[in-house]
Amino acid sequence: MDAGYGLESSVIAGERVLGGEIMAGDVSPQEEGNRTLHLRSLRKQWQIITLQIIATVALVWMYMEIVSTYVVGSIDHTILFRMLEEKVGSELPVGDWLTGLDQEGVASYYVPIGVGLSIGGGMSLLAFQPPKRQQKIKLGFVIGLIVILAGRFVMNYLWQLWGEGWTVPDDNALATLEWPLLMILSMVILMLYLLPVIMGTRGIWGLSRKGVAWCIGFVLLFLAIHAILSFPVVKAQLGGYGDKLATLDVLVGAPTVGFFGMNLVTEQQFSLIMIACLIMIFQESAFGVIRQLEYAFRLPESCKRDPEYVKQVDNVLNGHLRHTVIFLTITTLSTMVALGFHSVLLDFVEGVTGSQWASQVSESIELTLTYGLVISALLFLALMAILRFFVPWQRLWGLVESSFSRS
Amino acid sequence: MWTRKASFTFAGGISLILIGMMISNHQMMILGLSFVAFIVVNSWISGHGDVEVQRTLSADNLYKGDDLYVELLVTNRSSRRTQTLEVYDNVPHEMKLRSGLNQMQMNLGPGESARIRYVLRCPLRGHFSIGPVSLRYRNTFNLSVEEMFVDHHSDMIVFPQLRDVEEAFIRSRTPKMYTGATTLRTPGPGTEFYSLREYVPGDPFKNINWKAFARTGDLMINEKCRDAVTDLYVILDSRDISRIGTVLKNPLEVGTVAAASLANFFLQRRDSVSLIIYDEKLSYLPPDTGDKQHFKILSSLAGVAPKGAMPLQAVTNSLAARFSRGSPIFIISSCEGDGTVPAAIRDLVGRGHEVTVLSPSSIDFERLVSRIPRMSYEVLKLERQNRMTSLAGFGSQVIDWMPDMDLSQALLQVRGY
Repeated sequence: MDAGYGLESSVIAGERVLGGEIMAGDVSPQEEGNRTLHLRSLRKQWQIITLQIIATVALVWMYMEIVSTYVVGSIDHTILFRMLEEKVGSELPVGDWLTGLDQEGVASYYVPIGVGLSIGGGMSLLAFQPPKRQQKIKLGFVIGLIVILAGRFVMNYLWQLWGEGWTVPDDNALATLEWPLLMILSMVILMLYLLPVIMGTRGIWGLSRKGVAWCIGFVLLFLAIHAILSFPVVKAQLGGYGDKLATLDVLVGAPTVGFFGMNLVTEQQFSLIMIACLIMIFQESAFGVIRQLEYAFRLPESCKRDPEYVKQVDNVLNGHLRHTVIFLTITTLSTMVALGFHSVLLDFVEGVTGSQWASQVSESIELTLTYGLVISALLFLALMAILRFFVPWQRLWGLVESSFSRS
Repeated sequence: MWTRKASFTFAGGISLILIGMMISNHQMMILGLSFVAFIVVNSWISGHGDVEVQRTLSADNLYKGDDLYVELLVTNRSSRRTQTLEVYDNVPHEMKLRSGLNQMQMNLGPGESARIRYVLRCPLRGHFSIGPVSLRYRNTFNLSVEEMFVDHHSDMIVFPQLRDVEEAFIRSRTPKMYTGATTLRTPGPGTEFYSLREYVPGDPFKNINWKAFARTGDLMINEKCRDAVTDLYVILDSRDISRIGTVLKNPLEVGTVAAASLANFFLQRRDSVSLIIYDEKLSYLPPDTGDKQHFKILSSLAGVAPKGAMPLQAVTNSLAARFSRGSPIFIISSCEGDGTVPAAIRDLVGRGHEVTVLSPSSIDFERLVSRIPRMSYEVLKLERQNRMTSLAGFGSQVIDWMPDMDLSQALLQVRGY
């Protein structure tokens, strides 16, 4: 029941500028469009899938970079498997093609990564099943595991009891436990190595914040443990084991990677930069997808069908994609420049003053690798931060955008 | 403003750099530098609230329980993107969202606009204001948040509901009271011709009798017979005690509904209605007719809030001189906590007014929110009935209004006393 007339008024930047009466009933109800924001359809939207693919690629790439930098040849899973085979005196029940034992170097991780992705994907798929089905699948898995582990042993022991009466299990019966125990141990070791991939995939495709957080947590934990172990004092205590750890001295060298003809960082440094940036790409893409889907999920039914909401979700997702690509590329490049900035400064000082001081400083490993590098890098980042006050990035980008929309 | 994530990322970055330097670990330093670089790069872009907001309401006056359709048009007038902006239209907490949502996450390009449409249910009467519009810019990676708002309000009044009371009065045993408009042989505003008189400045031109002017050469005015109306006085008790009960069901709420419905009923019959509200002070709306008076009464009733403890006799004493002789008076009060009620009613009846007391049963309203022991309830109820009987004994008509009783149903009780 309307008791009067509607009122329309508007405000620009906080100031009331116009107002006027309009007839009641001029406000139209929410419209309904063809596209909706229901999770079922939103999950198939190209922006969401692209972000998920970006996150997955970043995850695999990050894992490969970490493996190639720190693991391969030093604390490799293949080394562990070979040690295990040596101790047991027989081949492990899990096929070499699966564990990567038949491959060398980084290639030994290709199949296991595929396995990790499949397991993570399977867990995501399971998370979207109805609770009853989930329960059944989990129960089936546990029963299967028990049967594999103890099935043959129980049968054997029962047969022994039937023939010999009440006795302890003999060697034949106990030998049946060897295969399942070794198989499960191999799988546990493999899963331990693949934990970041499994949890990451579960997080990305299963929309689990915990999964993403655990993945990043494992990676950071690994890096922290490695950093502690490779610290000279600790490393000396490790003896022969510590010699194989990739350490700082391996990373020293002439810069070979850069852009616009400038060599800024070494390949090892670039690899470390990639690890850092890929962690961020993975994290931001995965969390971005979850955040947007959560927002869409929380919307009331009428809003999910409203074309205005659908359009704005598109806008936000496009913005997220743009920012993920642009910002994280710039972050990678600026980290590279920041790391190479000390040499630029030293070259500049040497060129301007012609003094020997600059060349002496550049030869100082202490200054090049730690203090000088970090101070110059932070100086560069500070300059970049100040740059926002001089270059109107947003206005420039806005002009580009408006010219695009006009054309 | 940085978010917790940004603070942690920056602090973590700096810590990693320092720890990396301490233990000469390149990975830590680079990881730390990347975190800091990420924060720095993200600081280049920030969102803005330079948007034009236009709110349209389906109605600015509506009745309690009605739905209000709201449309908020947000337009980006600047030449840059707003970035991810959360727009939230502040709605009075008394109103309930019926459909749609009063917020939207948007990223508007230059010149682009978005519409937020939602429907509000107004379960409470009162003067309300929708707005301001809160804007929150959130960085894509949730690193910074900036709160802004557009100070844009839309005012509206929610009137008490109008109940149909006609049927009840038709069947009333006291039809004399409610005669509606009849013509009196006195000049005044009305429809029937009364006499001709000379024009005096200020008279409306439409009342000039042009034929008489042609005949006599003097401007003559058609005077009309005054439509005799009953001057009805509605006295509403808005003291603090009238808040007993729930937010939606208490003596004051049902009282406002009754006052609005009675006023509506009599105004439709072209009677004059006056509204008197007493709480900590007295507010008096002189009797008048028409839509304007209807609006004034509804607006006054919309803004009524329980407060104060003014006695009824103070009201009747101060307004006695203004009451038209013999006019009917409606007193809507629970008659609780005021020992002057019998005396006030006795005075009014004594002056020749036909007094009707519509009394919401506050004990029963209290029962809606708290458990009263049966014995106490019976005693309180008996006390109340005695009070009502004594009021009826002074010559007034008393209606004991129970919470679950409709107004028209309650008014039928007039016959009972």
